[in-house]
Amino acid sequence: MTQRPLELILARNLMSALSTPAFLVDEGGLLVFYNEAAGALLGKRFEELGTVGAEEWGSMFGPFDGNGEPIPYDELPLVVAVRNGRPAHADFEISSADGARHQVEVSAFPILTAHGSQGAIAVFWPAGSHDGAGR
Amino acid sequence: MKVKLWGTRGSIPSPGPETIRYGGNTSCVGVTLSDGSLLALDAGTGIRSLGLALAAEPARLHILLTHLHLDHIQGLVFFAPAFRAQTEIVIWGPASPEASLRDRIARYISAPLSPVEVRELPCDVSFRHCPQSEWEIGSARISAASVAHRGPTLGYRIDDGDSSLAYIPDHEPALGADIDSLDEAWISGLGLARDASLLIHDGQYADAEYPDHIGWGHSSLSHSISFARRANAARTVLFHHDPMHSDERLDQLGLEAQQRWLALGGADGEIELAVERSEYELPAHATSATSAS
Repeated sequence: MTQRPLELILARNLMSALSTPAFLVDEGGLLVFYNEAAGALLGKRFEELGTVGAEEWGSMFGPFDGNGEPIPYDELPLVVAVRNGRPAHADFEISSADGARHQVEVSAFPILTAHGSQGAIAVFWPAGSHDGAGR
Repeated sequence: MKVKLWGTRGSIPSPGPETIRYGGNTSCVGVTLSDGSLLALDAGTGIRSLGLALAAEPARLHILLTHLHLDHIQGLVFFAPAFRAQTEIVIWGPASPEASLRDRIARYISAPLSPVEVRELPCDVSFRHCPQSEWEIGSARISAASVAHRGPTLGYRIDDGDSSLAYIPDHEPALGADIDSLDEAWISGLGLARDASLLIHDGQYADAEYPDHIGWGHSSLSHSISFARRANAARTVLFHHDPMHSDERLDQLGLEAQQRWLALGGADGEIELAVERSEYELPAHATSATSAS
């Protein structure tokens, strides 16, 4: 089994202790962890889901723009952060496992080290939620 | 591969009658590879004695620094081979975005902390950032990886023939993590230590001392034992003794470590506390280390 870079290990350890929903991807965009708070938002714990491929996680929970249209994968803050090595921020809506929609603000930033980018972190601030059945 | 512990103490040299058996010199481990190549792991005050012992040895050696805290570099300006023009010394260490390895070490080897400057060292000295990928020195393959400690810090693995030495003297793998339950890929340093013939690992604090030192970059006895169990090392030496621990205290901790190791299903003699000047022989075609003295 390949050892994760220390920066990802420390990021995961920190995220595990936060009550703010947070996601972690590796340098290839693979979703390698999200914390319990994120699991509560999505309606599925990371342990149930496991590691998820780059394109797959981008579509699993939406996200949707203000018009309810899916946001292209390339425009997601986490993707911008890991690909371009710069922070990104966006407001959008995600869909949890039970179909509920949540309006969130997302800030993502790259994990840059002496050996280059090791991945990125995205932190979600729930801005409110409503039942998707009413849409 | 032959391994000799020249300094086993952490933080600050601690000479005196109360530390005479385990030793008071700070981190330094001498390694002689199967082809005769010489390595020094860290350059704490123990490297002074190593240098004196090398008086008649070949003139090329490599110093592998885990990090630049003073207890790991303090002996550099007292290392006799550095003052011989015919000696070639290659110093390896962690990269930092802030400054080169040479410039960071020069902060110590310069006025007012040192009477000599790096440029004044008579030896042929060079400084290299450790690569992320494996590299070769003599008959060994060397791996370095960042590990959980304060500031840029590496652990090393040295594979020579079938034997392997993992050296992670300053390490807090349990910071914010439960290393008993985490997946192996997510435990700091485990990739270096896995199935090592000999693991030299941080064992600075007793369990009761650790809560007052969370985040200081070191392990409790329980964490060290858990890490060694997860690593499946054939033999583990607990290193970087706290300067406040007397020989009598270390005797107690060593006994506790052995008892707990056995209780977890380990075998007798697989875990011990580091003793200055002790030696280990790692046969090129064996998987476990034997004490040479």
